[in-house]
Amino acid sequence: MEKALVVKELTKSYGSLVAIGNLNITVEKGEIFGLLGHNGAGKTTSIECILGVKKADHGSALIFGKDPGKDRRLVFEKVGVQFQQTNYQDKIRVDEICQVTASLYKKPEDWESLINTFGLARMKRKMVAELSGGERQRLSVLLALIQNPELVFLDELTTGLDAKARRDVWKYLEGLKQHGLTIMLTSHYMDEVYTLCDRICILKKGNTIFQGFVSEAIANSPYDNLEEAYLWYSGEEEQKDENL
Amino acid sequence: MKTFKTLFLTETKLMIRDMNNLIFGVGFSVIFAVIMGMIMGGKPAFEGADYSFIDQSFGAVIAIGIGATGLMGLPLALADYRYKKILKRFLVTPVSPAMLLLVQFLVNLLVSLICLVLVYLVFVLFFDFDMGGSFLYFIPAYLLVLLSIYSIGMMLASVSPNIKTANLLCCAFYFPMFFFSGATLPYEIMPAALQKASDILPLTQGIKLMKATSLGLPVENMTFPIILMIGLAAVCILLSVRFFRWE
Repeated sequence: MEKALVVKELTKSYGSLVAIGNLNITVEKGEIFGLLGHNGAGKTTSIECILGVKKADHGSALIFGKDPGKDRRLVFEKVGVQFQQTNYQDKIRVDEICQVTASLYKKPEDWESLINTFGLARMKRKMVAELSGGERQRLSVLLALIQNPELVFLDELTTGLDAKARRDVWKYLEGLKQHGLTIMLTSHYMDEVYTLCDRICILKKGNTIFQGFVSEAIANSPYDNLEEAYLWYSGEEEQKDENL
Repeated sequence: MKTFKTLFLTETKLMIRDMNNLIFGVGFSVIFAVIMGMIMGGKPAFEGADYSFIDQSFGAVIAIGIGATGLMGLPLALADYRYKKILKRFLVTPVSPAMLLLVQFLVNLLVSLICLVLVYLVFVLFFDFDMGGSFLYFIPAYLLVLLSIYSIGMMLASVSPNIKTANLLCCAFYFPMFFFSGATLPYEIMPAALQKASDILPLTQGIKLMKATSLGLPVENMTFPIILMIGLAAVCILLSVRFFRWE
């Protein structure tokens, strides 16, 4: 079966700083895959190199068998992307950015109903700039899903959301997964990763420390929950000691 | 086509909401046209001239609209879209970010055209404007000047490393041309030394070309401005493509 995403030997350095060192990932269709790591571990750079927004030094990334750098049009018709920080045009309203985004695709979702699902219906005629942090975050996730994608990249999908909004987003994504959506996400919240992800990859300074099922991640560590296991893998404990 | 239509409509709405472009591109030139008409209306361009001062000023006043949109509106919008990473967001959609740039170009062109039409109407309705020249010559001249000035703006947006530099560069190009190209202060009443200095500015040459075609003066004398406008557009477009970055 065609894979949703195949990343092979991807590397990227900035001068002597290694941002990504030999990243290999395969994501099956219908899977939720989590890319984890501390700030600066290379999550965002990896995603940007995979998407062809940044040029990797070496290696390849194929999305549904296609190179997003070469087949932009085909790839991004099926692939939604939510960047970590999203800005919009000045003085644009919520309904206008939805309309514009929907107009970029052949068969977009009905954005009016999405806006209800994401609890933004009352904000429809408001300027995007007037939205709260959580509302903006929900909007950026909504916009990544507006085209009804087969694969979606979500970079820190629920940062800034309250507990209720996070659960709503999870529930919605799980619903989409039932319908075959593949998700590649980054997150700093291990409860979120535990709830959503099938498999994860933990990065440390650009290198892969662990890759596999969430249950394996816990089993291969001395701990019995993902958060402790994650900190163990990413070496947070040692660092804390060093800093003391 | 659906994408283009939605983008163009939305960007036009944003331009209207923002007002800057309308104030500086349209408002200024119309107010200026009215003031010019009230002071100089009915007077000949110079003693014994067979066209009026107003007839002569048309090519200059509409240049205010070209300058404001081309050296402020367009480059600042492009720089803003780059630094806010809006172009980057378009990079991960099926639509090329170039579409957004094209739409911005057209929105500014639209403002420039509104300026042209309104100044024309003010001059014709209130100040006996008689365009001696033919639109067949004037419109191509107008579009050539516009392309050339817009290409300067696009180049400024491309070479600026950040939005502050873009702002500074745009001001450094726009204001000298606003005051000294003959767009506001008429070239004909400048002292000879200032005229010489003014001749260096691209917009001065553009205004000469638009004046000649709107007055119906022989275009043969206009070889230099025409070549300059084409050359400038070519160089600036090359530079803006060479230095262009999506983010």
